[in-house]
Amino acid sequence: MKDFRIDLEPRGAVRLIRLSGSLDMYSFPRLEEQLNTLFQQGQYYVVLDCRELDYIGSAGLGALIGFAKQAREHNGDVRLLNVPDRIYKIIELLGFTKVLRVHNTEEEAIDGFPVT
Amino acid sequence: MGELSKGIYVGCADGQVYVRVVGRGTFQNSQPLRHFALEKIERGQAEFVVDLGQCQGMDSTFLGVLAGIGLRLRQDGRDATICVVNIGSRNMELLQMLGLDRLFTMNSVTVPALAEAEYEKLPDTDLTQLTHPLDKDETADLMIEAHDNLIRADERNASKFRELTRFLRETVERRHKDGEGHK
Repeated sequence: MKDFRIDLEPRGAVRLIRLSGSLDMYSFPRLEEQLNTLFQQGQYYVVLDCRELDYIGSAGLGALIGFAKQAREHNGDVRLLNVPDRIYKIIELLGFTKVLRVHNTEEEAIDGFPVT
Repeated sequence: MGELSKGIYVGCADGQVYVRVVGRGTFQNSQPLRHFALEKIERGQAEFVVDLGQCQGMDSTFLGVLAGIGLRLRQDGRDATICVVNIGSRNMELLQMLGLDRLFTMNSVTVPALAEAEYEKLPDTDLTQLTHPLDKDETADLMIEAHDNLIRADERNASKFRELTRFLRETVERRHKDGEGHK
């Protein structure tokens, strides 16, 4: 099992966060801390690149909805990018695709924000 | 000990029910364990031993199902226990984080006295080889129940899972209202 890793890459006003490894209850607090820090700085345009993610737990997904809602209250969003098929199936099964926006390219995910 | 394929293994001996998690325990393989455990409790079994020695991780739904077994045993008012053994530091931290260390007896070193051959694998618990597609509503119901169990076990969990349970309840209600039913 790969260690969980977070890499933050600014893309103009958007914050691209590359996730790798396993996003479970054990590792989620690290992402939570990162998102809280960004929000405290007034940065609400967030894209989570999931290409290197090999697992995401249900509780983490639930919490992401909370972050996406919070960001939307400030005209921002938390979007998912490059979600692997096996993880997308889970997200879709649980209905999360109705709330979390999922994109296949970085351009599509970033261009959707009002300010870039 | 030979290397077991991933899945959830169960066995019974000397009045105890043994559960061994090999690989991950998640919402995708929690339901067979839930059914198995409830059936055993109905039949009067009151002592469960959960071996996490080969468990690579558990999600909150799986932990909620374990909590449900513990709560059910406690509710029956018998001299019932759920003992979790061979816990690695990561899983120990998870159990403590959710307050389940107060519901379970925890032991990081004890190995359950059950021979390899006495275990059988619960069907459809190997996440790499699931044969039946999960039902949306059944999965949502399982997850709601599991997270409610976690909140019953420790009310501090309410804030952790509020968003998830609210979303799942709304999703199920919306599906029923739209007449989508079980798909």
